[in-house]
Amino acid sequence: MEAILLVMPALAAVMLVLLLPTLNSLRMSLTNFSLSRPGPFDFVGLQNYRAALRIGEFQRSIRNTFVFTAVGVMFQVSLGLVLALLLNRALKLRGLLRATILFPWALPTALNAIVWRWMYNADLGVFNFLLLQSGLVQQRINWLGASNLAMGSMIFVAVWKTSSFMALIILTGLQTIPDDLYEAAIIDGASPWQRFRRITFPFVAPAIVLSMLLRSMDAFRAFELPFTLTEGGPAGTTQTISLYGYRQLFQFLNFDRGSAVAVLQFLMLLVLGIVYIVILRKREKAL
Amino acid sequence: MRRCFVVCLVVLLVMASGSAFARGAREADDTVTIQIGLAPREVGQTFPALLDEFRAANPNIRVNWLEVPGVPGEQKNLYVTNLIGGSDEPDIMALDIIWPGEFIANGWTIPLNDYFTDAELAEFNPALIDAATTLDGEVHAIPFYQNAVHFFYRRDLLEKYNLSVPTTWSELEEAARVVVEGENNPDLVGYTSMWAQIEGLFMNYLQFLWGAGGNMVDARGRVAVDTAEGRKALNQMVGMLDRGTAPESILTYRPNDAMALFRQGRSVFMVVQGFVWPIITEPDSPVADVVEMGSIPVFDGQNPETTRRHAIGAWMFAINPNSRNVDAAVELIRFLTREENQVRLGVETGNLPPRLGMENNPALIDAVPIAAQQFRNFALGDVRPSVHTGENYTEFSDIMQRHIHSALTGNMSVNQALRSAQAEADALLGK
Repeated sequence: MEAILLVMPALAAVMLVLLLPTLNSLRMSLTNFSLSRPGPFDFVGLQNYRAALRIGEFQRSIRNTFVFTAVGVMFQVSLGLVLALLLNRALKLRGLLRATILFPWALPTALNAIVWRWMYNADLGVFNFLLLQSGLVQQRINWLGASNLAMGSMIFVAVWKTSSFMALIILTGLQTIPDDLYEAAIIDGASPWQRFRRITFPFVAPAIVLSMLLRSMDAFRAFELPFTLTEGGPAGTTQTISLYGYRQLFQFLNFDRGSAVAVLQFLMLLVLGIVYIVILRKREKAL
Repeated sequence: MRRCFVVCLVVLLVMASGSAFARGAREADDTVTIQIGLAPREVGQTFPALLDEFRAANPNIRVNWLEVPGVPGEQKNLYVTNLIGGSDEPDIMALDIIWPGEFIANGWTIPLNDYFTDAELAEFNPALIDAATTLDGEVHAIPFYQNAVHFFYRRDLLEKYNLSVPTTWSELEEAARVVVEGENNPDLVGYTSMWAQIEGLFMNYLQFLWGAGGNMVDARGRVAVDTAEGRKALNQMVGMLDRGTAPESILTYRPNDAMALFRQGRSVFMVVQGFVWPIITEPDSPVADVVEMGSIPVFDGQNPETTRRHAIGAWMFAINPNSRNVDAAVELIRFLTREENQVRLGVETGNLPPRLGMENNPALIDAVPIAAQQFRNFALGDVRPSVHTGENYTEFSDIMQRHIHSALTGNMSVNQALRSAQAEADALLGK
C-alpha cells in the first residue's frame, strides 16, 4: 500500500505528460479536426488513416524511413562491432580513445547537421574542394541536391554519428567475456576466426541485438537530421515519416491527418520492437 | 516532509497567480499592460528605443516586448498555440505577409478599419494592405516594414564584355554564357538563387510566372497552376539548369548559401532577398564595389516595364481578438507605423518603410543609397496568393515547392509536375 502511495506522484506525472497527450492524439486521429478547416469537428472513424495511406508523399516517406533505418543500422552495427573490438584491446590511451569516439554521438544532431550541410555544399564545401584538388573528380558532386545521392549522404552522416554509440553497447558485451575461455581455445588450437565465431559472437549477440533495437527505434523516428540537413529534399527523397507528420501537424495545422500519421508510426515501431524482442527471447532460450 | 510539500505547493500557487495579481493591481490605478510579439532579429536597437519613447509618452500604458524566435515557422507555432488556447498574449502580433489569410479565416485577428481611416491606409504600399484585406474590405493588419526578392548583378563583369544589364531571361542566359566562357574560371557560375525546397523557391517561381505574363489567380479568383504561362515559367527554370546557366547545386541553396557564393565573386547574377545587401557590400567583401541591384528580367516578347513583378514581403501588426486592451494596442501600432518612426527604422536598420512616396525621402536615400532601387522594385511588387488560399496557404505553398522541385530534379516532367500540383491544389482548396 505504501509502495503505491510512493509511486503515485511519478505515475501521475507520467500520466499527465505522456498518457494523456497520447490518448488525445489517438482521439484527434479519429476526427476531422484541422485548423485549416475552421469550424466544429466530428468523429470520422478511420477515414484519416485510409486517406493518409493513399497519399503518395506519405507512402514515399514510409519507404524513405525504412531505407534510412535498414541501411543505416546495418552499417552502424558493422562499424560499431569493429570499433568495439578495437577498443577492447589493451591499447595505450584506451580511456582517451573510448571518450574520443563518443564525440560525434555526444554532440547535438542539429549542430552536426549544419556543419555537414556546409561540408556537403557543392560549391563551397570541403568534400568537393578536396576531390577537385586531388583530381579524383572533374565535376562538382551535388551531394544533397541529386535525388540519387541525397539519401546516401544523409545515411553517411547518421553512420558517422551513431556508430560509436553502437560500439559502446557492444563493448559492454565484450567485457563480460572471461579471458580463460580464449586461453582454453588457444590451447585447443582454435584460429582467430573460430575464436570470434564460437566465443566472441555468441557472447556479444544480445548486446548487438539490443543496440540494433535502440538504434532502429531512433532511426525510425529520425527528425532533426533530415529537418536540418535537407528539409526532406530534393523533391521529397529524404523526407521521413516524422518530418511528414511534423509538416501536417505544425505547419499545415492538420491535427487530424498529423495525428493519424503519428499513430501509424507508433504502430510500425511497435511491430519493430516486438520483432526484436522475439529475437532476443529466442536467443536466451537457445543458450 | 509534509511541511516541505505544503510549502512547495504554496510557492507554486503564488507563482502561478502572480501575474494575475499584478495585472489586477495595475488596472486599479488606470494603468494597462499590453504585450507585443516581434522577432528581435531584424529590428536592431531601433525597436526597443521606439518602445521607450512610447512608454515615456504614454505613462498609463505598460508595454512588454515578447521576443519571439527569429524563424518565421516557430513564431507562427507560438502564436497559434496561444490563440488556440484563447490566450490574450500577446496583444499585438507581428505577422509575416503570408499569414493574414490564415489568421483571418480562423478569427485570430480583428478588423482595424474603425481605428485607421481609409486615407491613413492609403499611405501604405497597396499590395501589402491587400494581403491583409478580406473580400468584404476589412483590413486586419498594418505593415511595419517591407522587403522583396531582388536581382543582383556584377557590373564589372558585364562592362568587361560590353554587355548591358539583361532585361529578359534569354539575355541573362546569353550574358552569363559569354562571361563564364570568357573568364574561363571553373569556380564561376552564371546564376545563383535559393532553389532548395523552401518558400523562397515558390517566390522565385512566381517571379518567373509573372515575367511570362501569368498569374496564380485567374480572373474568377480561382487558383490556376497548370497554365501555359506556368509551363513557360517552369520550363525556363529547368532550362537554366540543363543549359548550365545555373549550377546543379542551386537545388540545395537557401538565401545564405547563394549569398556566400556571390560574395566570393563566384556568380555573375543572383536573385535573393534584400537583406543580403549590407553583407555583400561590407568593406572586406571582394565584390563590394562591383555589385549592383537591378530589376528582375522578364520573358522575350514581354514589355519589362509593364510585366516585371518582384515578390514582396512584409511584417505586419495585427491585434489578438482576446486582447483586453485593444485601444492601447491600437495606440502602439499607430505609433510604430508613423512615417517618421518607419523612416527611422529604415535609416538605422535598412528595413524600409512600407509606404508610398518614400523613394524621394532625403534622409532615407542618404543613409541607405540602395533604397532608391529597392523602392523601384517594391513599386513593381506583388504578393503571394495567400489571400486566395486563406487558411491553406502554407500547405498550398508546400504543394508548389514539392512539384517545382520535382521538375527541377528531373523526377517529373514540367507538364506532369504542374498537372499534379493543380490536382492537389484543387483537392486542398475544394474546387
